[in-house]
Order: sequence, then C-alpha cells, then structure tokens
Amino acid sequence: MNPVSIIWKFLVTVYHRLGSPREFYQIAQYTTPIFGLLSLVLFVCGAYLGLFQAPADYQQGDSFRIIYVHVPAAWLSLFVYMVMATAAAIGIIWRMKMAFVVAICSAPLGAVFTALALITGSIWGKPIWGTWWTWDARLTSELILLFLYFGVMATYHAFEERKTAEKAMAMLAIIGVVIVPIIHYSVEWWSSLHQGATIFAEGGPRMPADMLTPLILMILSFMFFYGYALFLSAQNKVLLNERKSQWVKAAISAAEK
Amino acid sequence: MSPSQKKRFTIIGVLIVGISIATFLALQAMQSSIEYFRTPSQIKHEGFSSEQVYRVAGLVRKGSVSRLDDGVTQRFNVTDCENDVTVQYTGILPDLFREGQAIVTLGKINQESVLVASQVLAKHDENYVPNEAADAVMLAQANKCDNADGAVTY
Repeated sequence: MNPVSIIWKFLVTVYHRLGSPREFYQIAQYTTPIFGLLSLVLFVCGAYLGLFQAPADYQQGDSFRIIYVHVPAAWLSLFVYMVMATAAAIGIIWRMKMAFVVAICSAPLGAVFTALALITGSIWGKPIWGTWWTWDARLTSELILLFLYFGVMATYHAFEERKTAEKAMAMLAIIGVVIVPIIHYSVEWWSSLHQGATIFAEGGPRMPADMLTPLILMILSFMFFYGYALFLSAQNKVLLNERKSQWVKAAISAAEK
Repeated sequence: MSPSQKKRFTIIGVLIVGISIATFLALQAMQSSIEYFRTPSQIKHEGFSSEQVYRVAGLVRKGSVSRLDDGVTQRFNVTDCENDVTVQYTGILPDLFREGQAIVTLGKINQESVLVASQVLAKHDENYVPNEAADAVMLAQANKCDNADGAVTY
C-alpha cells in the first residue's frame, strides 16, 4: 500500500471515530489537555517575544503591539466561521450528530474572537486613526460577522426540539459563509480606512522577521486555544445530548464514586 | 454517497452558489456607497456639489501645510500625486499627520474648491517598520510624489 492511501485510511478512521459521540468523548479527554498545553506554551513564547523582544514600530511606537492580540483574534473569527460552516454542511449532508455539536460549540467561541478583534481594533484605532469606529467596509463586515454568530446561537436556542434546532442553525451558518470572503477582500475591493494585508501582502510580509515571528506564534496559540475550548465545550455538549444513553450514565456514576 | 446524501449535497452547493451570486449583485449595486473615500482625481473628474459631504483621502502634499492667521486653522493639500484637493481644518490633527502620510478628510467643498473638514483621520498603511529605519521610511514617504509616475494608491 502506498503512503497516501495509508494516510487516507487513517484519516477516514479518525473521522468515523470522531463521528461517534462516545468515541469523541474518549478521544477528547486526551486531546483537550494537549491542545491546551500547546496553546499555553505558544502564548508564553509569542507574548514574551512580542512584548519584550520585538522592536517598537517607527510611528506607532509600542501601541503597535496590540497587533499580537488583534490579528490572531481577527484571523480566528474567520477561521472559526469556516470550521462552523463546514461542520454544519457535513451535519446536514451526512446527518452526523458530532458535526452539529462542533458547529454549535464553535459559535460562541467565534463570537468572542470577533468581539475581541473589534474591541482591540477600536482601542488601536483611537490613537492611530483618530477615531474609535468608522463605517468602512472592513469594520462593518466584521460587525456583521459578530451578529451572524449571535444569529446562529439564537436560532439554535429558539427551537425546543434538538434536531430541528440543529438543522436551522446549520442552514444559517451555511448561508452566512458568504461574509468570509467579503471580510477578507473588503480592503482590496473597496477603499477603506483599515489597511491592507500585512502578512499576505504582495511580495511578502510588510514586517521584519522579529515582529512577524511572535505574530505567527500568537496566531498558532489562538488556533490551539480554539481547539482546546472546542473540545471542552463539545465534551460538555455530548454529555448533555447523550444523557439518556448507557455510557453517559456509567461515566457519571463512575465520576460520582 | 447514498442518493439522499447526494441530493442534500447538491442542494447545499446550489444554495451557496445562489447566495454568492445574489450577494455579488447586491454589492455591485452598492459599490459607490461602500467605497469609504474618493481620491482627489475622482473629485476632479466627477465634479462636486457644494451641498454634499465628501470623504476625500490622499497623501499630505509636501510643503503644502500652512496655518491660517487665526492660529488654529490648518490648510494643506491632499494628493494622489496627480490631482490635489485643498483641505482646511480647525482642530487637533492626528498624531500620524505629516508630509507624505495618507489621511482621510470629511467635509463639504466650498465655492473656492476648499474642503472644509469636520474630521481628519490618519490612514495607517500595511507596513510595520522598526525605529532604526524611521528616518529613511519617512523621507521616502514625504518624497513619494516626486518619484511617482501617475496616481498612487494608498
């Protein structure tokens, strides 16, 4: 067998195992601390390099360092939406319980990342631009993203019956995915106050390596944090959804002893 | 995939394509109102009405910054290196304000073609530069129009 088909088989097995709530719960017990630890280590390295080693910017001075929270948060606000919409589509097409769990557990996390991006951007905007807020394409589309996350959460909680709630929430998440390219390209398609891309600018990053390295570390840290928080909250959700099944009852009585 | 899975897959695919087209058309229709600012060249070519409020952005033209006799009103040109708009502003300019810096101004353009701004914002670019290189970068920015071949973007 060639290596590609071995990897493919492995991924299919992982996918099927994660698709079963019980197996997911067991796997997540191992992956949660690993993701949490990786996130913490990357955070400590990224924050140290970003706050103490990276040079100050020539015109923003030390206030540029908010980028080490703002950019990872903004990045994750889009990444989480893509994960949520993909999970929602998998849930709808293959009627996979765990996909819905991943989607609904991602919504509040994505909303927090979006809010964090908006708040840190606003704090940065006041001294640099001269205003807390303006209705340019990037800022406005990011605000719509926040309301989309709220909409997905509200839709899910609006239905008594879980299967209906999951389907309605998933459809909204899928429809809303058009906002992701709009946010990403907003600074290219239209004139805006917000600057263009720094990391993926044409001709390479518009930032020296000693500023860029901590930024990459912080983005990775945020991604692992999302994984960590997602595993935690999905485990919780699985226990709630499957509370009538034998294995959950057994796990609870084992925990109570 | 089973037939029902295939059907749902198709429905979702068609849904996403349909919504993308609808969004694209809607955004096309709103194009000019989504634009955050106009450039001095757009103002020159499209004309302006003195009744309307415009947001005009450009680089602060080198050597154009002056203070009026009242001591609190500044006057300067914003430029895309092809055309200029003269801006008059009473108030505190943003910290980043300097020659060659891209700024966004908001206000009405009066009979003398001067934009009387009620707001002046600095537009930060995508470049992050350590302190040591500050002088070189600022000089390059201030002289950007001298070396520009036609209108620049910002």
